[in-house]
Amino acid sequence: MSDVPDRPAPAADSYKPSCVLLVDDIPANLRVLYESLNGRDYRLLVANGGAQALEIARRSHPDLILLDIMMPDMDGFEVCRRLKADAATGDIAVIFLSALDDTADKIHGLELGAVDYVTKPFHPDEVAARVAAHCKIQRLERELGQRNRQLELVRDRILHSMVEGVVGLDGDGRVSFVNPAAERMLGLPAESLLSREFADWEPVVLRDTAGIALAERREASVDELTLPQPDGSAVPVELRAAPIADADCPAGTVLVLRDLSERRRVEAKLHRTSSELNRSHRELREAQMQLVQAAKLESVGRLAAGVAHEVKNPLAIVQLGLDYLEQVVSLDETSSQVLADMQQALSRADTVVRGLLDFSRERELDLRACVVNDTINDSLQLVRHELTQRNIGVETQLAADLPDRPFDADKLQQVFLNLFMNAMHAMERDGTLSIRTHYGPVTAADLGPHARDAGFLPGERAIHIAIEDTGPGIHPANLDRLFDPYFTTKRQGEGTGLGLSVTRNIVRLHGGSIDIENRPDGGARAMLLFPPQGVPAELVPEQGEPMTRTRSERLRATHR
Amino acid sequence: MSKKKILLVDDEPALTRMLRLNLEQTGRFEVREENRGTNALRAAREFRPDLIFLDVMMPDIGGDEVAEQLKQDPELRKIKYAFLTAIVTKRETGTGAAEISGETFLAKPVKRDELLAVVDELLGA
Repeated sequence: MSDVPDRPAPAADSYKPSCVLLVDDIPANLRVLYESLNGRDYRLLVANGGAQALEIARRSHPDLILLDIMMPDMDGFEVCRRLKADAATGDIAVIFLSALDDTADKIHGLELGAVDYVTKPFHPDEVAARVAAHCKIQRLERELGQRNRQLELVRDRILHSMVEGVVGLDGDGRVSFVNPAAERMLGLPAESLLSREFADWEPVVLRDTAGIALAERREASVDELTLPQPDGSAVPVELRAAPIADADCPAGTVLVLRDLSERRRVEAKLHRTSSELNRSHRELREAQMQLVQAAKLESVGRLAAGVAHEVKNPLAIVQLGLDYLEQVVSLDETSSQVLADMQQALSRADTVVRGLLDFSRERELDLRACVVNDTINDSLQLVRHELTQRNIGVETQLAADLPDRPFDADKLQQVFLNLFMNAMHAMERDGTLSIRTHYGPVTAADLGPHARDAGFLPGERAIHIAIEDTGPGIHPANLDRLFDPYFTTKRQGEGTGLGLSVTRNIVRLHGGSIDIENRPDGGARAMLLFPPQGVPAELVPEQGEPMTRTRSERLRATHR
Repeated sequence: MSKKKILLVDDEPALTRMLRLNLEQTGRFEVREENRGTNALRAAREFRPDLIFLDVMMPDIGGDEVAEQLKQDPELRKIKYAFLTAIVTKRETGTGAAEISGETFLAKPVKRDELLAVVDELLGA
C-alpha cells in the first residue's frame, strides 16, 4: 500500500497546561478560586459576569469553566445553555459554583450539560481536586477522540485500498460502511447501500449468507455467486460473511467480496491457450502424418513406375513368345486351352501394371477447354453396356451454365469411370446411378473434410459434381481409408486399390476436391468441387497446349 | 518382291528375338536385332532397313535421341521408325499404335497382331 495514513502526533508534543476560566460577580469569591488553583499547572482566566464569560470562552476556548449560578447580568444556567448551543464552545466542560445546596438546582445544572458542581463556601483543596479530575478527563477524552479519528482514518484508507469489497452490517442488518470495491461489485453507490436492509438485497444467496452470519453468529461463505450489474452484465464473486466477534461490540457482520472476473478471465485465457496448444499439436501431428503419407506416396509412385517398366518388358517377351508359339505349333485342344489361359493371365497382369502406371503418372495434366457434361456423358457411354447388364438406371441433371475452365479430359474421364465403376460394383444389380452438376455457392453440406483441406469456403462459387448410387453405402470403418493407395474392399483381381487414390490425385491436380460420404437415405455420394477459374498456375504449361513441348521433354516428364 | 528389312533396337535380347521370330514367321521380312542403342546408327547404315523399332528407355541412349540422330543423318533420314515403350500405356495408345507429337508409339506388351498391323501401316503394305 503506497497510501500510508498520517501518523498521529505524540501527545507529549502537543502538551500545554489546561486553561480554566473562573466566573463570579463577587471579587472575593474570584480571589478564593484563583488562589486555590494558582501555583498549580493551570492557565487561569477570570470573568466577573455572564456576558464577559461567554466572550472569553469564545475567544480563548478554555478547557474548563468554573461558573457561578447567581449573577446579576445573566445567570449561570443561561451562560451554560448558550455555551452548549454554540459549536465553538459546546465541548468546554462546565462546573457550577453555587451557594445553593439545592438538589433541584444541581440536577438542572447537570441536565444543561455541566459535568460537576461545587458548593459554597469553597474548600480550596476540593476545588483544586475537582478541577484536576475534570481536566484529566477532558484531556483523556480529547486524546481518545483523536485516536479514534486516526483509527477511522486508517480503517478508511485500508478499506479504500482493498481489492476485496467490504460491507459492514450492524446488528439490524443495515449497511454501516461500504468500501469502493464493494460499491463497484454491487453496482450501487454507497449512498444507496448505506441504511439499506439486507432483506432487500439481491441475489438471495447473498442475503442468506449474510443472514447466517448475523443470526447464527458464525462464518458463512459462498465459493461463487453472480452479482447483477445495472448495465445487465454480471460480476462473479466469492463471498465470506463473518460475525463481528467482540462481545462488547454491538452485533454486526462483515461481508468480504472477492471479484473473480480477473481470475475467470485468466482461467479462460489459460484454457484457450491450452486448447490452442493442443490444436497446434494436433495439427502438427497431422501435418507430420501427411508429410509421411506424401513421402510414402511419392516413393510408391516412383516404385510403381519402375516396377511397371521392369515388368512390361518380360510381359512383352512372354506375350510375343506365346503369339509365336500359337503360329508355329499345331496344338491339340488341351494345349490350346493352356495357351488361352496364359494369354488371359498376361492380360490381367498388364491391367495391374497399367493401374500402377496411372497412379505414378498423375503429375502431368493435358489441359484443354473441356465441357464437363460431355465428359460425363462420354464416360457413361463407356459403361453403358455394363449398366444395362446389371439393370442399373441412370439419372442425370447436368446444368448448362457450368463455367468454361481447362480440364484434362482424359484424366477427368478416368475419374468418372472410376466413380461409376465403384458405384456399379456397390449396387451389383438393380439400382440407380445419378449424376448432377451445377455451378453455385458451396454450402456447409458440400464441405467435406477434403473440400475444407483444399481450401473451399462456404459461399464460394464452385462447379459441383455429385455422383450417387443406391447401393448399401460404405462401412463407417472404411470411410477414412477410401483414398488410401492399395486399400480395396473388392475381391482379389477385381481392383488394384488404386482407383480412388488416383481419382483424388487427379481431382487435386485440377485444384478441386472430392469427398465421399454415405447419404442419409442410403447409398453413397461422391461430391466433387472444382474452382471455376482453373488450376494452380504451377501446374499449367507455360505456353499454349502441353503438346507443343518437344517429345523428349514429354518423355522425360513421364519417367519422373 | 524382295523382303522388307526391319531393324529392332532394344536392350532386351529376348524381346528383340521374340519380335524377330514373329516377323520372320510371316516370311515377308528380313529382320536384324541390335541390343545396344549406341550401335543403332551403325547398324542402320550397314543394314539399310525400311523400318526401325526403337526402344525408348535403353541404358546407354534414349530411343528418342537415336531418332533425332536418324533425322539429322542425310543417308538415314528417310527411314521410317516407331517407338516401343513400356511407359506409354495402352489407354493412351489404344490398340495398335498411337501418334503423339507426330511420332508412332507402340506400348509394351505388344501383341503379334498389333505389331504386324503397325508394320503394314508404316510400310504401306
